Amino acid sequence: MTSDSNCAVESSGLIEITGLSKTYRSKKLALVEALKNLDLLIGKGEVFGFLGPNGAGKSTTIKILTGQIRQTAGSAQLAGQTVSDYRCRRDLGYLPENPVFYDYLTATEYLAFVGRAFGMSDSVIRQRAGEVLGLLDLQHAAKRPMRGFSKGMVQRLGLAQTLIHDPQVFIFDEPMSGLDPVGRALVKQLIKDLKRQGKTVFFSTHITADVEEICDRVGVIVQGQLRAVDKVSDIVIGDTDNYRLHVRHGDGSVIEEIVSRNMLKQKVVNAWADQGALEKVVPVGRNLEDYFLDIVNNVNK
Amino acid sequence: MNGFWVVLIAALRGFLRDRVLHALLGFALLLLVLAPVFSLFSMRQVQELSTTVALSAISLTLLVLAVMLGGFSVWRDVERRYTASVLGLPIPRSSYLLGKFAAVAVVLMSTSIFLGFVSLVSVHIAASFYPPDRSLDLMNFMAAIAACSLKYILLSAFALLFSSLSTSFFLPVFGSLAVYLAGGATQEVVEYVTGPSAQSLSNSLITTVKGLYYLLPNFAAFDLSFQAIYGIPLSVEGLLLTFGYFLVYTSLLLLLACYCLARREFP
Repeated sequence: MTSDSNCAVESSGLIEITGLSKTYRSKKLALVEALKNLDLLIGKGEVFGFLGPNGAGKSTTIKILTGQIRQTAGSAQLAGQTVSDYRCRRDLGYLPENPVFYDYLTATEYLAFVGRAFGMSDSVIRQRAGEVLGLLDLQHAAKRPMRGFSKGMVQRLGLAQTLIHDPQVFIFDEPMSGLDPVGRALVKQLIKDLKRQGKTVFFSTHITADVEEICDRVGVIVQGQLRAVDKVSDIVIGDTDNYRLHVRHGDGSVIEEIVSRNMLKQKVVNAWADQGALEKVVPVGRNLEDYFLDIVNNVNK
Repeated sequence: MNGFWVVLIAALRGFLRDRVLHALLGFALLLLVLAPVFSLFSMRQVQELSTTVALSAISLTLLVLAVMLGGFSVWRDVERRYTASVLGLPIPRSSYLLGKFAAVAVVLMSTSIFLGFVSLVSVHIAASFYPPDRSLDLMNFMAAIAACSLKYILLSAFALLFSSLSTSFFLPVFGSLAVYLAGGATQEVVEYVTGPSAQSLSNSLITTVKGLYYLLPNFAAFDLSFQAIYGIPLSVEGLLLTFGYFLVYTSLLLLLACYCLARREFP
Protein backbone atom coordinates (compact mmCIF):
# COMPACT_ATOMS: atom_id res chain seq x y z
CA MET A 1 0.00 0.00 0.00
CA THR A 2 1.20 3.49 -0.76
CA SER A 3 0.94 4.72 2.77
CA ASP A 4 2.22 8.25 2.25
CA SER A 5 -0.69 9.13 -0.01
CA ASN A 6 -3.01 8.07 2.78
CA CYS A 7 -1.21 10.18 5.35
CA ALA A 8 -0.88 13.10 2.99
CA VAL A 9 -4.53 13.93 3.51
CA GLU A 10 -5.19 16.53 6.15
CA SER A 11 -5.01 14.96 9.55
CA SER A 12 -8.64 15.62 10.48
CA GLY A 13 -10.32 13.30 8.02
CA LEU A 14 -14.10 13.39 7.65
CA ILE A 15 -14.02 9.63 7.33
CA GLU A 16 -11.54 7.92 9.61
CA ILE A 17 -11.17 4.16 9.63
CA THR A 18 -8.61 2.51 11.90
CA GLY A 19 -7.85 -1.20 12.06
CA LEU A 20 -11.33 -2.10 10.93
CA SER A 21 -12.05 -5.81 10.73
CA LYS A 22 -15.19 -7.81 10.24
CA THR A 23 -15.48 -11.52 10.74
CA TYR A 24 -18.66 -13.52 10.50
CA ARG A 25 -19.75 -17.12 10.30
CA SER A 26 -21.03 -18.46 7.01
CA LYS A 27 -24.09 -20.69 6.78
CA LYS A 28 -21.75 -23.67 7.05
CA LEU A 29 -20.35 -22.08 10.24
CA ALA A 30 -16.99 -21.42 8.61
CA LEU A 31 -15.25 -18.25 9.77
CA VAL A 32 -15.15 -15.63 7.01
CA GLU A 33 -12.89 -12.59 7.27
CA ALA A 34 -14.78 -10.04 5.23
CA LEU A 35 -12.52 -7.17 6.23
CA LYS A 36 -9.00 -7.24 7.63
CA ASN A 37 -7.41 -4.38 9.48
CA LEU A 38 -8.54 -1.57 7.20
CA ASP A 39 -6.97 1.87 7.72
CA LEU A 40 -8.26 4.78 5.73
CA LEU A 41 -8.43 8.53 6.12
CA ILE A 42 -10.52 10.61 3.78
CA GLY A 43 -10.25 14.35 4.03
CA LYS A 44 -12.63 17.21 3.45
CA GLY A 45 -13.40 17.95 -0.18
CA GLU A 46 -11.97 14.70 -1.42
CA VAL A 47 -13.56 12.31 -3.90
CA PHE A 48 -12.40 8.82 -3.03
CA GLY A 49 -13.06 5.77 -5.17
CA PHE A 50 -13.17 2.43 -3.40
CA LEU A 51 -12.32 -0.16 -6.01
CA GLY A 52 -12.50 -3.89 -5.66
CA PRO A 53 -13.82 -7.02 -7.28
CA ASN A 54 -17.14 -8.51 -6.17
CA GLY A 55 -16.99 -9.76 -2.60
CA ALA A 56 -13.82 -7.81 -1.82
CA GLY A 57 -15.28 -6.05 1.24
CA LYS A 58 -16.44 -2.73 -0.24
CA SER A 59 -20.06 -3.04 0.84
CA THR A 60 -19.02 -4.47 4.21
CA THR A 61 -16.97 -1.33 4.84
CA ILE A 62 -19.85 0.90 3.81
CA LYS A 63 -22.34 -1.02 5.94
CA ILE A 64 -20.11 -0.56 8.95
CA LEU A 65 -19.78 3.14 8.18
CA THR A 66 -23.56 3.50 7.97
CA GLY A 67 -24.28 1.51 11.13
CA GLN A 68 -25.95 -1.49 9.51
CA ILE A 69 -23.39 -3.98 10.77
CA ARG A 70 -20.86 -3.83 13.59
CA GLN A 71 -17.13 -4.26 13.17
CA THR A 72 -15.40 -7.12 14.91
CA ALA A 73 -12.38 -4.94 15.65
CA GLY A 74 -11.13 -1.43 15.00
CA SER A 75 -12.99 1.83 14.82
CA ALA A 76 -14.64 4.09 12.28
CA GLN A 77 -15.69 7.70 12.57
CA LEU A 78 -17.73 10.05 10.43
CA ALA A 79 -16.97 13.73 11.03
CA GLY A 80 -15.40 12.87 14.37
CA GLN A 81 -18.28 10.76 15.68
CA THR A 82 -18.19 7.02 16.04
CA VAL A 83 -20.35 5.22 13.49
CA SER A 84 -22.21 3.21 16.13
CA ASP A 85 -23.89 6.47 17.17
CA TYR A 86 -26.82 7.27 14.84
CA ARG A 87 -26.10 11.00 15.24
CA CYS A 88 -22.96 10.65 13.12
CA ARG A 89 -25.28 10.26 10.13
CA ARG A 90 -26.78 13.74 10.53
CA ASP A 91 -24.28 15.14 8.04
CA LEU A 92 -24.21 12.14 5.75
CA GLY A 93 -25.89 11.42 2.45
CA TYR A 94 -25.95 7.67 1.92
CA LEU A 95 -26.96 5.76 -1.18
CA PRO A 96 -27.16 1.97 -0.62
CA GLU A 97 -26.28 -0.54 -3.33
CA ASN A 98 -29.31 -1.27 -5.56
CA PRO A 99 -31.47 0.90 -3.33
CA VAL A 100 -35.09 0.14 -2.56
CA PHE A 101 -37.37 2.63 -0.88
CA TYR A 102 -40.90 2.45 0.51
CA ASP A 103 -42.54 1.94 -2.85
CA TYR A 104 -46.01 2.94 -1.69
CA LEU A 105 -44.73 6.50 -1.27
CA THR A 106 -44.36 9.02 -4.08
CA ALA A 107 -40.96 10.55 -4.79
CA THR A 108 -42.01 13.77 -3.04
CA GLU A 109 -43.33 11.89 -0.01
CA TYR A 110 -40.13 9.91 0.27
CA LEU A 111 -38.01 13.05 0.12
CA ALA A 112 -40.23 14.54 2.84
CA PHE A 113 -39.68 11.38 4.91
CA VAL A 114 -35.91 11.74 4.55
CA GLY A 115 -35.96 15.50 5.14
CA ARG A 116 -37.97 15.09 8.35
CA ALA A 117 -35.55 12.43 9.54
CA PHE A 118 -32.87 15.09 9.22
CA GLY A 119 -34.99 17.56 11.17
CA MET A 120 -35.78 19.85 8.24
CA SER A 121 -38.91 22.00 8.26
CA ASP A 122 -41.69 21.25 5.77
CA SER A 123 -41.18 24.50 3.86
CA VAL A 124 -37.46 23.85 3.41
CA ILE A 125 -38.19 20.25 2.41
CA ARG A 126 -40.63 21.43 -0.28
CA GLN A 127 -38.08 23.84 -1.68
CA ARG A 128 -35.15 21.40 -1.58
CA ALA A 129 -37.24 18.51 -2.96
CA GLY A 130 -38.09 20.57 -6.03
CA GLU A 131 -34.41 21.45 -6.51
CA VAL A 132 -33.01 17.95 -6.15
CA LEU A 133 -35.74 16.35 -8.25
CA GLY A 134 -34.91 18.89 -10.96
CA LEU A 135 -31.21 18.17 -10.64
CA LEU A 136 -31.79 14.44 -11.08
CA ASP A 137 -34.35 14.97 -13.85
CA LEU A 138 -37.23 13.48 -11.88
CA GLN A 139 -39.75 16.35 -11.72
CA HIS A 140 -42.11 14.51 -14.03
CA ALA A 141 -42.27 11.59 -11.57
CA ALA A 142 -42.53 13.66 -8.38
CA LYS A 143 -46.13 12.68 -7.61
CA ARG A 144 -45.96 9.08 -8.78
CA PRO A 145 -45.70 6.13 -6.38
CA MET A 146 -42.22 4.63 -6.56
CA ARG A 147 -43.55 1.15 -7.29
CA GLY A 148 -43.90 2.28 -10.91
CA PHE A 149 -40.32 3.55 -11.17
CA SER A 150 -37.67 1.98 -13.39
CA LYS A 151 -34.41 0.86 -11.79
CA GLY A 152 -32.64 3.95 -13.10
CA MET A 153 -35.31 6.25 -11.68
CA VAL A 154 -35.02 4.61 -8.26
CA GLN A 155 -31.25 5.05 -8.42
CA ARG A 156 -31.64 8.74 -9.28
CA LEU A 157 -34.17 9.20 -6.48
CA GLY A 158 -31.65 7.52 -4.21
CA LEU A 159 -29.14 10.18 -5.16
CA ALA A 160 -31.75 12.91 -4.72
CA GLN A 161 -32.46 11.78 -1.16
CA THR A 162 -28.75 12.03 -0.33
CA LEU A 163 -28.72 15.65 -1.45
CA ILE A 164 -31.87 17.00 0.16
CA HIS A 165 -30.27 18.02 3.46
CA ASP A 166 -27.04 19.27 1.83
CA PRO A 167 -24.63 17.14 3.90
CA GLN A 168 -20.84 17.41 4.01
CA VAL A 169 -20.15 13.71 3.52
CA PHE A 170 -21.55 11.40 0.87
CA ILE A 171 -21.23 7.64 0.79
CA PHE A 172 -22.41 5.97 -2.39
CA ASP A 173 -22.42 2.20 -2.79
CA GLU A 174 -22.16 1.48 -6.53
CA PRO A 175 -23.86 4.73 -7.60
CA MET A 176 -23.70 3.94 -11.32
CA SER A 177 -25.37 0.57 -10.96
CA GLY A 178 -28.46 0.23 -13.13
CA LEU A 179 -28.01 3.54 -14.88
CA ASP A 180 -28.05 4.08 -18.62
CA PRO A 181 -25.24 6.17 -20.23
CA VAL A 182 -27.26 9.37 -19.74
CA GLY A 183 -27.79 8.55 -16.08
CA ARG A 184 -24.13 7.68 -15.61
CA ALA A 185 -23.05 10.98 -17.11
CA LEU A 186 -25.52 12.73 -14.81
CA VAL A 187 -24.08 11.02 -11.73
CA LYS A 188 -20.50 11.76 -12.73
CA GLN A 189 -21.40 15.39 -13.25
CA LEU A 190 -23.15 15.40 -9.88
CA ILE A 191 -20.06 14.06 -8.10
CA LYS A 192 -17.86 16.62 -9.86
CA ASP A 193 -20.26 19.36 -8.73
CA LEU A 194 -20.12 18.05 -5.15
CA LYS A 195 -16.34 18.20 -5.30
CA ARG A 196 -16.51 21.80 -6.52
CA GLN A 197 -18.69 22.58 -3.50
CA GLY A 198 -16.03 21.12 -1.21
CA LYS A 199 -18.01 18.03 -0.23
CA THR A 200 -16.43 14.71 0.63
CA VAL A 201 -17.50 11.78 -1.50
CA PHE A 202 -16.64 8.15 -0.79
CA PHE A 203 -17.98 5.70 -3.31
CA SER A 204 -17.50 2.07 -4.11
CA THR A 205 -17.37 0.74 -7.61
CA HIS A 206 -15.72 -1.83 -9.78
CA ILE A 207 -15.75 0.38 -12.85
CA THR A 208 -12.23 1.76 -13.19
CA ALA A 209 -13.12 4.31 -15.88
CA ASP A 210 -15.47 6.11 -13.47
CA VAL A 211 -12.78 6.34 -10.83
CA GLU A 212 -10.25 7.60 -13.36
CA GLU A 213 -12.62 10.34 -14.45
CA ILE A 214 -13.91 11.70 -11.17
CA CYS A 215 -11.77 10.63 -8.22
CA ASP A 216 -8.88 12.33 -6.47
CA ARG A 217 -7.72 9.12 -4.85
CA VAL A 218 -8.44 5.48 -5.18
CA GLY A 219 -8.21 2.61 -2.73
CA VAL A 220 -8.08 -0.95 -3.97
CA ILE A 221 -9.48 -3.63 -1.73
CA VAL A 222 -9.08 -7.31 -2.53
CA GLN A 223 -10.11 -10.23 -0.32
CA GLY A 224 -10.96 -7.92 2.55
CA GLN A 225 -7.58 -6.16 2.64
CA LEU A 226 -6.73 -2.70 1.41
CA ARG A 227 -3.93 -3.33 -1.09
CA ALA A 228 -3.23 0.17 -2.36
CA VAL A 229 -4.19 3.80 -1.91
CA ASP A 230 -2.96 6.24 -4.51
CA LYS A 231 -3.72 9.53 -6.15
CA VAL A 232 -5.42 8.88 -9.47
CA SER A 233 -3.20 11.47 -11.16
CA ASP A 234 -0.10 9.60 -9.96
CA ILE A 235 -1.37 6.34 -11.38
CA VAL A 236 -2.49 7.65 -14.73
CA ILE A 237 0.30 10.11 -15.50
CA GLY A 238 2.97 9.65 -12.88
CA ASP A 239 4.34 6.46 -14.33
CA THR A 240 4.53 7.73 -17.89
CA ASP A 241 7.61 6.39 -19.62
CA ASN A 242 6.25 6.25 -23.12
CA TYR A 243 4.71 8.67 -25.58
CA ARG A 244 2.47 8.05 -28.55
CA LEU A 245 3.47 10.11 -31.63
CA HIS A 246 1.03 10.81 -34.46
CA VAL A 247 2.96 11.86 -37.58
CA ARG A 248 1.21 12.82 -40.84
CA HIS A 249 3.33 12.20 -43.89
CA GLY A 250 3.24 13.89 -47.29
CA ASP A 251 0.98 11.26 -48.81
CA GLY A 252 -1.62 11.95 -46.12
CA SER A 253 -1.03 8.76 -44.16
CA VAL A 254 -0.80 9.01 -40.37
CA ILE A 255 1.79 6.90 -38.63
CA GLU A 256 1.41 6.14 -34.93
CA GLU A 257 4.48 5.23 -33.00
CA ILE A 258 5.19 4.67 -29.33
CA VAL A 259 8.56 5.91 -28.20
CA SER A 260 10.30 5.93 -24.87
CA ARG A 261 11.05 9.08 -22.89
CA ASN A 262 14.73 8.85 -23.91
CA MET A 263 13.95 8.60 -27.58
CA LEU A 264 11.25 11.25 -27.65
CA LYS A 265 13.45 14.24 -28.49
CA GLN A 266 15.27 12.40 -31.29
CA LYS A 267 12.00 11.18 -32.83
CA VAL A 268 10.45 14.62 -32.78
CA VAL A 269 13.51 16.11 -34.45
CA ASN A 270 13.51 13.36 -37.07
CA ALA A 271 9.82 13.75 -37.80
CA TRP A 272 10.33 17.46 -38.25
CA ALA A 273 13.35 16.95 -40.50
CA ASP A 274 11.47 14.46 -42.68
CA GLN A 275 8.87 17.17 -43.27
CA GLY A 276 6.21 15.09 -41.63
CA ALA A 277 3.65 17.01 -39.62
CA LEU A 278 3.79 16.07 -36.01
CA GLU A 279 0.10 16.06 -35.09
CA LYS A 280 0.06 14.77 -31.54
CA VAL A 281 2.36 13.72 -28.73
CA VAL A 282 0.33 11.86 -26.09
CA PRO A 283 1.86 10.61 -22.85
CA VAL A 284 1.00 6.93 -22.47
CA GLY A 285 0.16 6.71 -18.80
CA ARG A 286 -0.69 3.60 -16.96
CA ASN A 287 -4.32 2.80 -17.32
CA LEU A 288 -6.24 2.53 -14.01
CA GLU A 289 -7.68 -0.75 -15.17
CA ASP A 290 -4.16 -2.16 -15.66
CA TYR A 291 -3.19 -0.83 -12.25
CA PHE A 292 -6.22 -2.48 -10.67
CA LEU A 293 -5.75 -5.77 -12.51
CA ASP A 294 -2.07 -5.87 -11.57
CA ILE A 295 -3.02 -5.63 -7.90
CA VAL A 296 -5.78 -8.22 -8.16
CA ASN A 297 -3.58 -10.63 -10.10
CA ASN A 298 -0.72 -10.22 -7.62
CA VAL A 299 -3.04 -11.08 -4.77
CA ASN A 300 -4.42 -14.08 -6.58
CA LYS A 301 -0.96 -15.46 -7.42
CA MET B 1 -39.48 15.83 13.78
CA ASN B 2 -37.76 12.92 15.46
CA GLY B 3 -37.29 9.44 14.05
CA PHE B 4 -40.25 7.98 15.92
CA TRP B 5 -42.79 10.31 14.28
CA VAL B 6 -41.14 10.04 10.88
CA VAL B 7 -41.39 6.24 10.93
CA LEU B 8 -44.90 6.33 12.42
CA ILE B 9 -46.23 8.59 9.65
CA ALA B 10 -44.54 6.61 6.86
CA ALA B 11 -45.80 3.30 8.27
CA LEU B 12 -49.35 4.62 8.62
CA ARG B 13 -49.26 5.76 4.99
CA GLY B 14 -48.19 2.25 4.02
CA PHE B 15 -50.98 0.63 6.02
CA LEU B 16 -53.61 3.00 4.63
CA ARG B 17 -52.56 2.14 1.07
CA ASP B 18 -52.37 -1.59 1.63
CA ARG B 19 -55.04 -3.31 -0.47
CA VAL B 20 -54.95 -6.45 1.66
CA LEU B 21 -56.01 -4.35 4.64
CA HIS B 22 -58.80 -2.77 2.61
CA ALA B 23 -60.06 -6.25 1.71
CA LEU B 24 -59.83 -7.37 5.34
CA LEU B 25 -61.81 -4.37 6.57
CA GLY B 26 -64.35 -4.97 3.81
CA PHE B 27 -64.78 -8.55 5.02
CA ALA B 28 -65.19 -7.40 8.63
CA LEU B 29 -67.82 -4.86 7.57
CA LEU B 30 -69.69 -7.55 5.67
CA LEU B 31 -69.73 -9.73 8.79
CA LEU B 32 -71.07 -6.87 10.88
CA VAL B 33 -73.69 -5.96 8.32
CA LEU B 34 -74.80 -9.58 8.27
CA ALA B 35 -74.80 -9.84 12.09
CA PRO B 36 -78.53 -8.91 12.39
CA VAL B 37 -79.33 -11.61 9.83
CA PHE B 38 -77.33 -14.26 11.75
CA SER B 39 -78.92 -13.23 15.01
CA LEU B 40 -82.42 -13.79 13.63
CA PHE B 41 -81.71 -17.53 13.89
CA SER B 42 -82.21 -17.08 17.63
CA MET B 43 -85.78 -15.94 18.31
CA ARG B 44 -85.18 -15.17 21.99
CA GLN B 45 -81.73 -13.70 22.33
CA VAL B 46 -81.37 -11.65 19.19
CA GLN B 47 -79.50 -8.78 20.88
CA GLU B 48 -77.19 -11.15 22.74
CA LEU B 49 -76.41 -13.14 19.63
CA SER B 50 -75.83 -10.06 17.47
CA THR B 51 -73.51 -8.66 20.18
CA THR B 52 -71.62 -11.96 20.25
CA VAL B 53 -71.28 -12.01 16.45
CA ALA B 54 -70.18 -8.36 16.38
CA LEU B 55 -67.55 -8.82 19.10
CA SER B 56 -66.29 -12.01 17.45
CA ALA B 57 -66.02 -10.27 14.08
CA ILE B 58 -64.05 -7.42 15.67
CA SER B 59 -61.84 -9.87 17.53
CA LEU B 60 -61.12 -11.91 14.40
CA THR B 61 -60.32 -8.79 12.37
CA LEU B 62 -58.00 -7.42 15.04
CA LEU B 63 -56.27 -10.80 15.37
CA VAL B 64 -55.48 -10.91 11.65
CA LEU B 65 -54.39 -7.26 11.70
CA ALA B 66 -52.16 -7.72 14.76
CA VAL B 67 -50.41 -10.76 13.34
CA MET B 68 -50.14 -9.34 9.83
CA LEU B 69 -49.08 -5.80 10.65
CA GLY B 70 -47.02 -6.66 13.71
CA GLY B 71 -45.36 -9.66 12.13
CA PHE B 72 -44.79 -8.29 8.67
CA SER B 73 -43.95 -4.62 9.20
CA VAL B 74 -40.33 -5.03 10.38
CA TRP B 75 -39.82 -8.38 8.66
CA ARG B 76 -40.89 -6.92 5.29
CA ASP B 77 -38.56 -3.95 5.71
CA VAL B 78 -35.65 -6.31 6.30
CA GLU B 79 -36.69 -8.74 3.57
CA ARG B 80 -37.11 -6.01 0.93
CA ARG B 81 -33.99 -4.18 2.18
CA TYR B 82 -35.90 -1.01 3.08
CA THR B 83 -33.84 -1.05 6.26
CA ALA B 84 -30.67 -0.30 4.27
CA SER B 85 -32.06 3.10 3.32
CA VAL B 86 -34.07 3.84 6.47
CA LEU B 87 -31.42 2.86 9.02
CA GLY B 88 -28.82 4.80 6.99
CA LEU B 89 -30.71 7.91 8.12
CA PRO B 90 -30.10 9.42 11.56
CA ILE B 91 -32.91 7.38 13.09
CA PRO B 92 -32.14 5.27 16.17
CA ARG B 93 -33.26 1.69 15.78
CA SER B 94 -35.40 1.95 18.89
CA SER B 95 -37.30 4.90 17.35
CA TYR B 96 -37.73 2.91 14.18
CA LEU B 97 -39.20 -0.06 16.06
CA LEU B 98 -41.38 2.04 18.37
CA GLY B 99 -42.62 4.05 15.38
CA LYS B 100 -43.64 0.83 13.67
CA PHE B 101 -45.34 -0.41 16.84
CA ALA B 102 -47.19 2.86 17.31
CA ALA B 103 -48.43 2.71 13.72
CA VAL B 104 -49.74 -0.82 14.28
CA ALA B 105 -51.38 0.27 17.55
CA VAL B 106 -53.02 3.28 15.86
CA VAL B 107 -54.42 1.06 13.11
CA LEU B 108 -55.71 -1.48 15.66
CA MET B 109 -57.31 1.24 17.78
CA SER B 110 -58.85 3.06 14.81
CA THR B 111 -60.17 -0.19 13.37
CA SER B 112 -61.75 -1.19 16.68
CA ILE B 113 -63.37 2.25 17.07
CA PHE B 114 -64.72 2.16 13.51
CA LEU B 115 -65.91 -1.45 13.71
CA GLY B 116 -67.26 -0.82 17.22
CA PHE B 117 -69.43 2.00 15.87
CA VAL B 118 -70.69 -0.17 12.99
CA SER B 119 -71.35 -2.97 15.51
CA LEU B 120 -73.48 -0.70 17.66
CA VAL B 121 -75.62 0.19 14.66
CA SER B 122 -75.80 -3.47 13.70
CA VAL B 123 -76.82 -4.61 17.21
CA HIS B 124 -79.49 -1.90 17.40
CA ILE B 125 -80.92 -2.98 14.07
CA ALA B 126 -80.97 -6.60 15.21
CA ALA B 127 -82.57 -5.66 18.53
CA SER B 128 -85.28 -3.68 16.76
CA PHE B 129 -86.61 -6.89 15.18
CA TYR B 130 -87.25 -8.52 18.59
CA PRO B 131 -87.00 -5.83 21.29
CA PRO B 132 -85.07 -7.29 24.28
CA ASP B 133 -86.09 -7.06 27.97
CA ARG B 134 -82.79 -5.35 28.75
CA SER B 135 -81.17 -2.79 26.47
CA LEU B 136 -77.51 -3.05 25.52
CA ASP B 137 -75.13 -1.73 28.19
CA LEU B 138 -73.19 0.77 26.13
CA MET B 139 -70.40 1.21 28.68
CA ASN B 140 -69.80 -2.53 28.91
CA PHE B 141 -69.86 -2.86 25.14
CA MET B 142 -67.27 -0.08 24.72
CA ALA B 143 -65.13 -1.52 27.53
CA ALA B 144 -65.19 -4.94 25.84
CA ILE B 145 -64.02 -3.43 22.54
CA ALA B 146 -61.33 -1.34 24.26
CA ALA B 147 -60.03 -4.40 26.15
CA CYS B 148 -60.07 -6.39 22.92
CA SER B 149 -57.93 -3.67 21.26
CA LEU B 150 -55.44 -3.75 24.12
CA LYS B 151 -55.21 -7.54 23.84
CA TYR B 152 -54.30 -7.35 20.17
CA ILE B 153 -51.92 -4.44 20.65
CA LEU B 154 -50.12 -6.64 23.19
CA LEU B 155 -50.13 -9.49 20.66
CA SER B 156 -48.69 -7.16 18.00
CA ALA B 157 -45.85 -6.35 20.43
CA PHE B 158 -45.08 -10.07 20.48
CA ALA B 159 -45.18 -10.16 16.68
CA LEU B 160 -42.76 -7.20 16.53
CA LEU B 161 -40.45 -8.86 19.03
CA PHE B 162 -40.38 -12.00 16.91
CA SER B 163 -39.79 -10.06 13.71
CA SER B 164 -36.94 -8.14 15.31
CA LEU B 165 -35.28 -11.50 15.95
CA SER B 166 -36.07 -13.53 12.88
CA THR B 167 -35.10 -13.38 9.22
CA SER B 168 -38.09 -15.51 8.27
CA PHE B 169 -41.78 -14.65 8.58
CA PHE B 170 -42.53 -18.03 10.19
CA LEU B 171 -41.54 -16.94 13.69
CA PRO B 172 -43.39 -13.60 13.66
CA VAL B 173 -46.57 -15.09 12.21
CA PHE B 174 -46.75 -18.56 13.73
CA GLY B 175 -44.97 -17.53 16.93
CA SER B 176 -47.52 -14.82 17.64
CA LEU B 177 -50.40 -17.16 16.73
CA ALA B 178 -48.98 -19.70 19.18
CA VAL B 179 -48.73 -16.99 21.85
CA TYR B 180 -52.33 -16.02 21.09
CA LEU B 181 -53.57 -19.59 21.55
CA ALA B 182 -51.47 -20.21 24.66
CA GLY B 183 -52.35 -16.80 26.15
CA GLY B 184 -56.05 -17.54 25.80
CA ALA B 185 -55.71 -20.78 27.74
CA THR B 186 -53.26 -19.92 30.54
CA GLN B 187 -55.89 -18.78 33.04
CA GLU B 188 -57.96 -21.94 32.69
CA VAL B 189 -54.93 -24.22 32.81
CA VAL B 190 -53.50 -22.61 35.94
CA GLU B 191 -56.92 -22.73 37.62
CA TYR B 192 -57.09 -26.44 36.79
CA VAL B 193 -53.61 -27.36 38.09
CA THR B 194 -54.11 -25.40 41.30
CA GLY B 195 -57.60 -26.78 41.85
CA PRO B 196 -58.66 -29.88 43.81
CA SER B 197 -59.12 -32.02 40.70
CA ALA B 198 -55.40 -31.88 39.87
CA GLN B 199 -54.00 -33.31 43.11
CA SER B 200 -52.51 -36.28 41.28
CA LEU B 201 -50.27 -34.03 39.18
CA SER B 202 -46.57 -33.84 40.06
CA ASN B 203 -45.20 -30.76 41.77
CA SER B 204 -42.71 -30.15 38.98
CA LEU B 205 -45.53 -30.03 36.41
CA ILE B 206 -47.51 -27.63 38.55
CA THR B 207 -44.43 -25.42 38.99
CA THR B 208 -43.78 -25.46 35.23
CA VAL B 209 -47.37 -24.53 34.47
CA LYS B 210 -47.24 -21.71 37.00
CA GLY B 211 -43.97 -20.50 35.51
CA LEU B 212 -45.49 -20.47 32.04
CA TYR B 213 -48.54 -18.70 33.43
CA TYR B 214 -46.37 -15.81 34.59
CA LEU B 215 -44.28 -15.83 31.41
CA LEU B 216 -47.06 -16.03 28.84
CA PRO B 217 -49.64 -13.28 28.54
CA ASN B 218 -53.01 -13.84 30.14
CA PHE B 219 -55.43 -12.86 27.40
CA ALA B 220 -58.43 -14.05 29.43
CA ALA B 221 -58.06 -10.88 31.49
CA PHE B 222 -58.93 -8.85 28.38
CA ASP B 223 -62.09 -10.77 27.57
CA LEU B 224 -65.10 -8.74 28.66
CA SER B 225 -67.51 -10.33 26.19
CA PHE B 226 -69.79 -11.76 28.88
CA GLN B 227 -70.05 -8.42 30.60
CA ALA B 228 -70.93 -6.78 27.28
CA ILE B 229 -73.42 -9.44 26.15
CA TYR B 230 -75.26 -9.98 29.45
CA GLY B 231 -74.74 -6.57 31.04
CA ILE B 232 -72.77 -7.95 34.01
CA PRO B 233 -71.32 -5.05 36.06
CA LEU B 234 -67.67 -4.25 35.45
CA SER B 235 -65.13 -4.05 38.21
CA VAL B 236 -63.19 -0.78 38.00
CA GLU B 237 -60.38 -2.31 40.02
CA GLY B 238 -60.21 -5.25 37.59
CA LEU B 239 -60.15 -2.90 34.61
CA LEU B 240 -57.35 -0.83 36.09
CA LEU B 241 -55.40 -3.98 36.90
CA THR B 242 -55.82 -5.24 33.33
CA PHE B 243 -54.70 -1.90 31.95
CA GLY B 244 -51.65 -1.86 34.22
CA TYR B 245 -50.85 -5.43 33.20
CA PHE B 246 -51.09 -4.39 29.54
CA LEU B 247 -48.76 -1.42 30.06
CA VAL B 248 -46.12 -3.37 31.95
CA TYR B 249 -46.18 -6.44 29.69
CA THR B 250 -46.16 -4.41 26.45
CA SER B 251 -43.35 -2.17 27.71
CA LEU B 252 -41.22 -5.19 28.61
CA LEU B 253 -41.81 -6.76 25.21
CA LEU B 254 -40.91 -3.53 23.42
CA LEU B 255 -37.78 -3.08 25.52
CA LEU B 256 -36.71 -6.59 24.60
CA ALA B 257 -37.57 -6.00 20.93
CA CYS B 258 -35.53 -2.76 20.89
CA TYR B 259 -32.58 -4.57 22.48
CA CYS B 260 -32.75 -7.38 19.90
CA LEU B 261 -33.07 -5.00 16.96
CA ALA B 262 -30.20 -2.85 18.22
CA ARG B 263 -27.95 -5.91 18.21
CA ARG B 264 -29.15 -7.21 14.89
CA GLU B 265 -26.97 -6.92 11.78
CA PHE B 266 -28.27 -6.17 8.33
CA PRO B 267 -25.76 -7.72 5.94
